[in-house]
Amino acid sequence: MSEAIFAEGLTKSYDGKTVVDHLSFSVERGTVFGLLGANGAGKSTAIECLLGTKRADAGTVRLLGQDPGKQRRALFQRIGVQFQDGDYQAEIRVSELCEETACLYPNPMDWRVLCRQFGIGDKMRASVKHLSGGQRQRLFIVLALIPRPEVVFLDELTTGLDAKARREVWKTLESLKEKGLTIFLTSHFMDEVEALCDEICILRKGVSVFRGSVPQAKALCGCERFEDAYLHLADQEADA
Amino acid sequence: MKRFFIFLKTELKLSLRDMNMPIFAVIMPLVIFVILGILYGEKPAFDGASYTFLEQSFGAACAIAICAGGLMGLPQAISDSRERKVLKRFRVTPVSPVFLLGVEMAMYIVYCAASLGTLAIAALFWKVRLQGSLPYFLGSWLLTMVSTLSVGLLVGGVAKNTKQAGVIASILYFPMLVFSGTTLPIEVMPRAMQKIVRLFPLTQGISLMKNTFLRMNPGNVLAPICVMLGLTALCVGLAVRFFRWE
Repeated sequence: MSEAIFAEGLTKSYDGKTVVDHLSFSVERGTVFGLLGANGAGKSTAIECLLGTKRADAGTVRLLGQDPGKQRRALFQRIGVQFQDGDYQAEIRVSELCEETACLYPNPMDWRVLCRQFGIGDKMRASVKHLSGGQRQRLFIVLALIPRPEVVFLDELTTGLDAKARREVWKTLESLKEKGLTIFLTSHFMDEVEALCDEICILRKGVSVFRGSVPQAKALCGCERFEDAYLHLADQEADA
Repeated sequence: MKRFFIFLKTELKLSLRDMNMPIFAVIMPLVIFVILGILYGEKPAFDGASYTFLEQSFGAACAIAICAGGLMGLPQAISDSRERKVLKRFRVTPVSPVFLLGVEMAMYIVYCAASLGTLAIAALFWKVRLQGSLPYFLGSWLLTMVSTLSVGLLVGGVAKNTKQAGVIASILYFPMLVFSGTTLPIEVMPRAMQKIVRLFPLTQGISLMKNTFLRMNPGNVLAPICVMLGLTALCVGLAVRFFRWE
């Protein structure tokens, strides 16, 4: 059983507008999968349908071989999630949020070590609301990794991070991947996607327009830079 | 169990930082009780009464905290954590709705108990004596608290948003606070009004607390106990069944 994530025919509409349209893919264990697309292309909705926080109108989802809607509690012991709009209790401090999260799992990672690794080791006693955007983003990556997950979902991985912090996040994720972690991410930074992802899927208005590796995407479009290939495939140039 | 205490500890710290509940559930009942103490001192409830006015009011003061926690604090806390998408984040963890609701309920039990404690200390200043039995009084206190909290749990669990929860909470909170004998003793109300307010579940709880505190003949206690237990089971059941993460 080497498939960590499996989706087939995933479809979701709001008020008659199809946001995710027959999306199918599978992610091998121990690989990094990137879901790409412009704002509003349906990435976040797709993630929510995968996780079961939104009910898909049609399609099948299997996470680690299980149905996230039916086996929620067992499954989310082994899965970490960072939502794009991750939120927290109004007055909570970093240490309290980490402690609350860690106590939910049987064998959590040491959150103090993670915080230091992600450069917020000196912020543990700070209020989460007083963190900068980048610090908060790193905190939510830490929260997603605390469960010692087999699969981690990271929506808008490094939005708001400076160049150095991004490199450090990549490094940590790569070392976790070597240990067998499966990573599902969305990102708007093509250098990041190129550096991290084994396979990508590009969404355009909810429809998958490309599935394969970064070199394949470049070859297909005859582009030297991946960003050009991405823009070509996501058809943003034509839309603009 | 350890997990439960970590959550309870954190949520209590958060609510202490926000100060709403310490004020409404602990300080306010105490202030009202102290004012009554200053006004009535050790005077009997009425000419020839075997108990003082304060002894008669002790149960009602406890109910102010129960009312504030159960009908105001609890529904707001639950719907607020849903609106802030805190529950959405918990949805992708192994935590269960029963656990989260249990933590919230436990937090307000702590507040009610803190209020009971401070009132008991204040009562010493005016020589308030528990004339009835302590276990019976604590039993009626527990029953009143659990049934009121379960109503709050249900409101918080099913309200669409914080605003709606606030409106429902106010509709339940203010009439019960004013008319069920918490702030205004039932005894001073006109007869017709007494009849109406006796229909509030909280009124039953308060009169149960009063009777056990003063060792009066409580009359038929089985009916109010059954009603309050039934209400608790119903509300908790519905709150769990219709729990909404988002």
